[in-house]
Amino acid sequence: MSRISALLRSHRAPRIAGAAGLALGLLGASLPAAAQQPDVTEIVERANEAAYYAGDDGRAQARMRIVDAQGRTQTRQFTILRRDRSDGGDQDFLVAFSRPSEYRGVIFLVEKHPGGDDDRWLYLPDQDLKRRIAPGDKRTSFVGSHVFYEDVSGRHLQDDRHELVRTTEEHYVVRSVPKAGADAEFASYTTWIDRETYLPMTTEYKDESGEVYRRMESSNIQTVDGHPTPLRMRVEDESMGGYTEVQFRGQEYDLGIPADVFSDRSLRNPPRQWLSR
Amino acid sequence: MGGRLAQWCIDRRRWVFAAILLMVAVLGAMIPQIRIDTDPENMLPDDQPARVLHENIEKQFTLHDRIVVGQVNAEDPQGVFNPESLADHYRLTRAIEEIDGVIERDLLSMAAVDNVEQAAPGTIDYDWLIPGPPETQQAADRIRAAVERLPMYSGTLASEDGTAAGILVPLESKDVSHRVANEIRAAAQRIGVEDELYITGQPVAQDTFGVQMFQQMGISAPLAGLVIFLVMLYFFRSVPLVLAPMLLAMATVISTMGLLIGTGFTVHIMSSMIPIFLMPIAVVASVHVLSSFADRYRPGGDARAVMAGVMEQLYKPVLFTALTTAVGFASLMFTPIPPVQVFGGFISFGVLIALILTLTFIPAYAGSLPRKTLDKMAQRVRQDQDAEHSSRLCAALEAGGQWAGRRRNWIVGTLVALSVVAVYGINQIQINDNPTRWFKAGHPIRVADQVLNERFAGTYEAYLRLRQTGIGEMGEQLRERAGAITAEAQEAGYAELGERWQRLWREHVDGDRPLGTRLESLAVAISDRLFTLSDPDRAAYWERLLDAVEQTRTETRAFQDPEKLAWIAGLERHLVENGHIGKATSLADLVKTINRELISGDAADYRLPDTPGGVAQALLSFQSSHRPHDLWRFVTPDYTAANVWMQLPSGDNQDMQRVVEAVDAYVAENPPPEGVELDWAGATYINLVWQGEMVEGMLLALLSAFVVVLVMMIGLFRSLALGLLAMAPLTVTIAFIYGVMGLVGKNYDMPVAVLSSLSIGLSVDFAIHFIQRTRSALAETGEWRSALVQVLREPACAITRNALVIAVGFLPLLAAPLVPYITVGTFLASIMALSAVITLLALPAIIAYRPGLFFAEVRRGAGQS
Repeated sequence: MSRISALLRSHRAPRIAGAAGLALGLLGASLPAAAQQPDVTEIVERANEAAYYAGDDGRAQARMRIVDAQGRTQTRQFTILRRDRSDGGDQDFLVAFSRPSEYRGVIFLVEKHPGGDDDRWLYLPDQDLKRRIAPGDKRTSFVGSHVFYEDVSGRHLQDDRHELVRTTEEHYVVRSVPKAGADAEFASYTTWIDRETYLPMTTEYKDESGEVYRRMESSNIQTVDGHPTPLRMRVEDESMGGYTEVQFRGQEYDLGIPADVFSDRSLRNPPRQWLSR
Repeated sequence: MGGRLAQWCIDRRRWVFAAILLMVAVLGAMIPQIRIDTDPENMLPDDQPARVLHENIEKQFTLHDRIVVGQVNAEDPQGVFNPESLADHYRLTRAIEEIDGVIERDLLSMAAVDNVEQAAPGTIDYDWLIPGPPETQQAADRIRAAVERLPMYSGTLASEDGTAAGILVPLESKDVSHRVANEIRAAAQRIGVEDELYITGQPVAQDTFGVQMFQQMGISAPLAGLVIFLVMLYFFRSVPLVLAPMLLAMATVISTMGLLIGTGFTVHIMSSMIPIFLMPIAVVASVHVLSSFADRYRPGGDARAVMAGVMEQLYKPVLFTALTTAVGFASLMFTPIPPVQVFGGFISFGVLIALILTLTFIPAYAGSLPRKTLDKMAQRVRQDQDAEHSSRLCAALEAGGQWAGRRRNWIVGTLVALSVVAVYGINQIQINDNPTRWFKAGHPIRVADQVLNERFAGTYEAYLRLRQTGIGEMGEQLRERAGAITAEAQEAGYAELGERWQRLWREHVDGDRPLGTRLESLAVAISDRLFTLSDPDRAAYWERLLDAVEQTRTETRAFQDPEKLAWIAGLERHLVENGHIGKATSLADLVKTINRELISGDAADYRLPDTPGGVAQALLSFQSSHRPHDLWRFVTPDYTAANVWMQLPSGDNQDMQRVVEAVDAYVAENPPPEGVELDWAGATYINLVWQGEMVEGMLLALLSAFVVVLVMMIGLFRSLALGLLAMAPLTVTIAFIYGVMGLVGKNYDMPVAVLSSLSIGLSVDFAIHFIQRTRSALAETGEWRSALVQVLREPACAITRNALVIAVGFLPLLAAPLVPYITVGTFLASIMALSAVITLLALPAIIAYRPGLFFAEVRRGAGQS
């Protein structure tokens, strides 16, 4: 998932957020830490870049373990391909499910248009159904996990008002409050952004009463092709109960994935060559 | 014996008083720890199999006890589908989600669930059904059109006629439901909801019952005490005489309730009535003693000696009437229903306390009264006996008894006729209960129940779980198949493959998680292993193992199989079309709905996909909504068990029974898919279970009480004939009252069932007194006719007074707003009154029939003449 979000991020419409948490994936921080205290706008923008933007394209395998409030688990295994159409602009994603076997061949395709609505498609192979997913609320579950579509495709930085609450040894602590009219189930969220890598490490969502009910954490940061990349993330959500853990493996950047891999032809004919290592 | 005890107590009366005070103080001090329990589930022991299963199923499918909130607008032509009502509905839903004790994630309301639709051809859209307060009628119309297309919600969250919108509010625990219901009403007021608001659901009914029960304990019991006090004052005209039984009753009630609460029992519907039962029972015996004392005491006499004489004579009847009563209640401990056992056990205890107090406290009390008071009391009582009101009653009784003796054929004939009617009526008895009906017809909960069940598919729920069995065998079969593959690999020279497989199996498959989950973990491990293999031949074996594992894993996911879902759909259709239930919702309905919207949105595509994969993928799409966890209300995450949610418009046990029978009949004709087993759960079903246990248990209690009391009677009178005679009046009475109940259609419910056995112990008292006095009189006169005449004077009067005290003592229950209290009051008052009347009429009649059969003196007398 992180992968996904990472892939989705763009420079032009900088996003942060829950997203940041997820953003872990393929992209690393491309900028060195500033020597002097940056202002909050710069922090959230750089965090967004670190989390969602690395290389021109990327691939990773994700394994998701969804655990409900009673400890019952579901798994999802999929490969994510990402390609930036233009630096900081539109991005394409292809998520191909491989496991469990009943989901094999399910494909989720996203054309991300920063500043506008993303185009999303879903392919269900058993009934050969190719369906567009209506642009609407993106704070819905991604395939039954505690991760939201918005965590994948990224929340617009300008949807929220950001405030640097404090700076610790390791982190910038940024509190974000949705602007009037923004669609969100939370009252605010707070992000702990690593001062070295600018990766958002922890994001906590609070409800109206000020209780933290949702938390995203990134861990196991490895530098892949020069990009600090979280290889593990965890989302807990009390309102749903339980948590989701995502593990990333085999991440690679700058593979030179061609544009037509992300066309809707790939829905029925998955680009096997690019999906496996 | 009784006399010596009385003297001992009079001599040491300070010690007696101190001991009683200490007992009352110690036990009474525990009363504040009271815990109320109104959960009908507790009618079953917590290890009762049906209850354990019910709780497991509720946990398995994250089902909770729910409050049903109905917002009704019958005036607007659009019903609740107008912008104002829906905006209110939206705001009310938000407010309810915030209430403490409400499980927000499982709350169901049109304003909390997702709509799924084809937003445009080929475009699937999951979005809130009511994303925000609608502003236009068009927006409201769209919501109506959308919900009508969602079979999971139509009829449940919106009535089909559009006049009502429902909110199903799941609770963390049942005992907050009364508070939550009040907070919902307050929230509606704050928001300014103009539509009518109705709140019902079993937890509210139960919790509200608990609250009112608590109030009733504070009202009914003291009121009963007051009424008894006044009735006795009317009969005896002496405050000191009446005061002692009242003190005794209070001491008994406080000690018994204190002990019950102090020993950690909860106060349940039945045990809340303990004070009301104990009060008249405790009073009666002491009244006998005191009135007899007042009768014999002469001004200036020796109170100690008189009391000793009274106790000597009354010791036996007092002891036996108390013991029979205690046995009647103790028989309830034979029922398999814990609250009824507690009720029976503690009343028995209370009766014994009252007995001990009658034998100790009453003499001590009489002994401690100043001479002046005693003189006055004796004078009053004697005046009273001569007074007109009293002698009128006694004269009537005497005349009645003698008339009965003469008209014995009539009387006995009438008894037989009553018995015939009773047997017929008893056969008409409907065994039925419904906790909602524990409230009177006009109670807001009853009104809400009626209004909402007219509009919605039903506010009562039952769950039918389908469970795939034989999952373990699937694991074994996989093991065998894998064994063949590893053996093949070994022959091909890959010897270590088998060992590695065994190790993976141990690591991933041994354990107690669902087999499907373990196999998935094994599959992941194999695919990881495949990553690292470079030898294609070796990899080929692992691929085959992986395929076998995945195939078995898919097989365990039974309820992804469209055939199984089709069977469920068939069952649901059958139950709904034949009117057995209001509605059923299951995984089949969910899958069909998603499938329809995925394909075309047309009704023709409201069907199941052809393959398990198609089902799984449709559900994967559903899991991308706001509420993916809603899926787990219908199927477990390993797909080995599915749940059919049935909504019933009635909570009557009989209706639930019909549903169970309908399912059984359907299953007999249409066997479920192989290996699928069915189990019931849900509050409505549980009520049915304990009802069944109760009927059986009560029969046992009734019979055992009857036998024990009969044996006691035979022992007391040392005569089989007299023992049977003593049982006759109450047998006819109880049979007749149950017969009437059957004839007028009053349901045999929990309170009625409980009353049957205990009333045996209560109403035999009259016969004991009557027969005992007849024997004494016979010993004096030696001739049964004059003995009867004597008994029909003062003793008959005393019996009647006692019957009236008890009967009237139960009358305050009739003012209660709770039906079980009214039932108990009516039932006991009529049993007391009727059995007193039958005792006084039937016993003389039967004795007159064959006096020699009952009394040895008569036989001897006949032999001499």
